[in-house]
Amino acid sequence: MALKKLLNNWIVQVLLFLSILGLTAFGSQIINDITPPYILMIGLFIGINLIMALGLNLITGVTGQLTLGHAAFMSIGAYASAIATVNYDIPFLLGVLIGGLVAGLVGIIIGFPTLRLTGDYLAIATLGFAEIVRVQFTNMKITNGAIGFLGIEGSTTFPIVMTIAVTVVFAMVWLENSRNGRAMLAIREDEVASSAVGINTTLYKIQAFAIGAFCAGVGGALFAHTTTFIQPTDFGFLKSIDILSIVVLGGLGSIPGTIIGAIVLTAAPEVLRPLSNYRMMVYGLLLVVIMIFRPYGLMGGVNLRQAVRRAIMWPKKKQPGRGE
Amino acid sequence: MSLLTLDNVTIRFGGLTAVDTVNLEVQEGEILALIGPNGAGKSTVFNLITSIYQPTEGKISFDGKPLVGIATHKIADMGITRTFQTIRLFSELSVLDNVKIGAHCRGKAGLFHALTRLPSMKREEVELEERSIKALEFLDLAGKRDEMSKNLSYGEQRRLEIARALVSKPKILLLDEPAAGMNPQEKVVLMEMIRRIRDTGITIFLVEHDMKLVMNISERIAVLDYGKKIAEGTPLEVRSNKAVIEAYLGSGKFKSRIRR
Repeated sequence: MALKKLLNNWIVQVLLFLSILGLTAFGSQIINDITPPYILMIGLFIGINLIMALGLNLITGVTGQLTLGHAAFMSIGAYASAIATVNYDIPFLLGVLIGGLVAGLVGIIIGFPTLRLTGDYLAIATLGFAEIVRVQFTNMKITNGAIGFLGIEGSTTFPIVMTIAVTVVFAMVWLENSRNGRAMLAIREDEVASSAVGINTTLYKIQAFAIGAFCAGVGGALFAHTTTFIQPTDFGFLKSIDILSIVVLGGLGSIPGTIIGAIVLTAAPEVLRPLSNYRMMVYGLLLVVIMIFRPYGLMGGVNLRQAVRRAIMWPKKKQPGRGE
Repeated sequence: MSLLTLDNVTIRFGGLTAVDTVNLEVQEGEILALIGPNGAGKSTVFNLITSIYQPTEGKISFDGKPLVGIATHKIADMGITRTFQTIRLFSELSVLDNVKIGAHCRGKAGLFHALTRLPSMKREEVELEERSIKALEFLDLAGKRDEMSKNLSYGEQRRLEIARALVSKPKILLLDEPAAGMNPQEKVVLMEMIRRIRDTGITIFLVEHDMKLVMNISERIAVLDYGKKIAEGTPLEVRSNKAVIEAYLGSGKFKSRIRR
């Protein structure tokens, strides 16, 4: 088919991608102009949480390495970018990139010793790492310690967050459908078999860790430039769990799942606000109910490409899912 | 010429000598079987060859190059692939993806390629897909390519594991109890398949318990007992070897089987 051939052309694909980004920026600018600030703020946090959750999804969902220290990378990105923009007058977007890169670098450094561990042990090690980072920021002069870092400019806007989030979604989809992504999936499934077919498990684990940390750093940088004030307690253990819940509730390893998870879990506390005192109780109940009825997450085991194909072409053909 | 050589290989786990000064040569293009009672150290030999364990003493060389001290993930690239005694598939992934991952060591694309999706990367992907489908066809699994691998039947899973090991075009294929858990018909199919793989020029080294299969298919057999090689030769020679019979059936005299 001529259309298929055209779509396979690299330049066409690049243009297509850029136009999607342009449309996102344009569309979110319109939404930005017509939506009340409160709702816009929720949308903005959905975007930030999505960026961070996609990073964690790569580490935990795709590569299968359970970490409980994602908030640490977020805080590194937040502080690094805040220091860059406030103390060194670096432009905002460059500051966000710096935040991501510093977090990614720390991810690589931390990855080497900790990724020898697996499962629960890795989780505990990353938990310890996150605590060290938090205490470190509490005692540093440049971060203004426990008092918190003040005077960050509120440069983050809804269109910027959305454009970055869409870019990250695309990057993750590409990554998953590549030699690297398959190697990461293989590591999740069976490490011994992976190395027997020639996969350098350490390399790919660290790669996943670095990219995941980079995403968390970018998210943290955007967060810092939204709230204009950050303090070490913003990035505690609970923040890591919040991001992990998004990934698990959406379905480990599923990108559409992570998107839905980010929307549901970020919006839920706000939607439930009228319940006042019962709010967090209902929120917790929601988590329990979802996990009972969808033990593999909302989109767990749903292959979106297959599901769409099934819906369009063979409405009657059934395929066994992951949960069965 | 011998393709794979084990030279006085010994491995001790604490006080236990799992493999004890074993000498073994695998000739190019042959089907060699390693047999022995449970716990004789057969699988350990495979784990030594694939560098999962490092020998306490002795040398292993492949194609003239030493294997000791080389990282496990580099072994596949050198031309040694294996299957496992307990099936180790990437069970939540599709059959095709399993085989594609098997060819990992033959690919070059890195992170940069993944994120830019340049034409060179896509060409590699197309090539990889063709190659994987060919491997699936060879093992009669092409119709199941989109199935999740955990949903395959037991025999199919065993075959998929072989397909995954073959797709990178190894020089030698290590099969760890390929017939375990198979029914008689599946075993016949398997035997025929092993011969076909050998006929494409791949050396076969297998560990197996099923005597009928082993006697039928192998050209040479080596026997391990308590980590020591007690016999080696053609199936006929091994079958009539006194030490082998004793190892399997006992000598009729009381002898403590517990090694000190």
